[in-house]
Amino acid sequence: MDESLQELENELKRLRPRALSGSLASRLERELGPVPAPRRYTPATSLRSWKWAGWSLAGAAAVAMGFLAVSFSRSPASAPIDSVAPIAAETPRPAPAVNRYEPVRASSVLYDMKDDGVATLPDQTPGRQVRYRYVDTYTWKNPTTKASLKWSVPRDEVRLVKASLD
Amino acid sequence: MERPHGNENWKEWIGAHGPRLLLCARQWTRSLADAEDVLQEAFVRFWRHQRELPGDPQALLLVSIRRAALDLARRNDRRQAREQRAEGGLEETVTLFGRLPGEGDERRQEIETALGRLPDEQREVLVLKIWQEFTFEQIGELLAISPNTAASRYRYALTALRAQLEPLCHG
Repeated sequence: MDESLQELENELKRLRPRALSGSLASRLERELGPVPAPRRYTPATSLRSWKWAGWSLAGAAAVAMGFLAVSFSRSPASAPIDSVAPIAAETPRPAPAVNRYEPVRASSVLYDMKDDGVATLPDQTPGRQVRYRYVDTYTWKNPTTKASLKWSVPRDEVRLVKASLD
Repeated sequence: MERPHGNENWKEWIGAHGPRLLLCARQWTRSLADAEDVLQEAFVRFWRHQRELPGDPQALLLVSIRRAALDLARRNDRRQAREQRAEGGLEETVTLFGRLPGEGDERRQEIETALGRLPDEQREVLVLKIWQEFTFEQIGELLAISPNTAASRYRYALTALRAQLEPLCHG
């Protein structure tokens, strides 16, 4: 590239695209909700621990589902392989071709947390109702064909949190 | 490149990458309002469902933005589209860039005008290369053209821009 084109390229690179408009930011906020900000909830002392408890529960559930899915997907295939073991012993056995989908990833993303306000707990004590919104995503992959399947499920959790009177 | 995986702060992410994505969206739409619509649609879908996907998140978003822009164009009135194409390129006068540091606004306006006169296929390659910092391979993949074609369009675009801007500089 000649020098003048290089100079022009450098000049163009100095231009910065304009920032997003306030109206677009507002529309995105309506769609995606406010950014989860734990500090906003700091006065409700128990909420932070509830939040992380929720994450842990969601993570544990995802891992458990992953293990269950693995065991379910493997058990039918393992039986036939065992039953042909004598034949396999006579010839060098190649690595078994796995032509089925296997779970490879499970994630749970908290994308919105909203304080719905004051609520009365079942024991008639005051509390707050907090809504957590997740997207649980499970990825399955077929190692033979390299095809993959992704399954995303929205999930809402509504929790009643005891109000702190401190 | 900053990954959105595990990042809950969508505002921070869109604040950092949104302006460039909007500029790209603008190349495939007929107005800034349309560009904002397709960016919103693509980003919301991405943030909710796709940000855990492997690969370059901005490439994924741009594929989504371009698809949304094409869908929007199909939905729009065809006659109106023909009329606006006949007028050529970016018909709006809304500025695409911020003011150049240390300079007046005249040069930025000249560049924007010159950009608006480029053929669509050259301008989109130029924008992806300069402001999205994509390689020709990435551009080729996104636009379904060969990297060589992308490189040629980029060179044609720069040459055409130079031809338009030089008289303004020296004349």
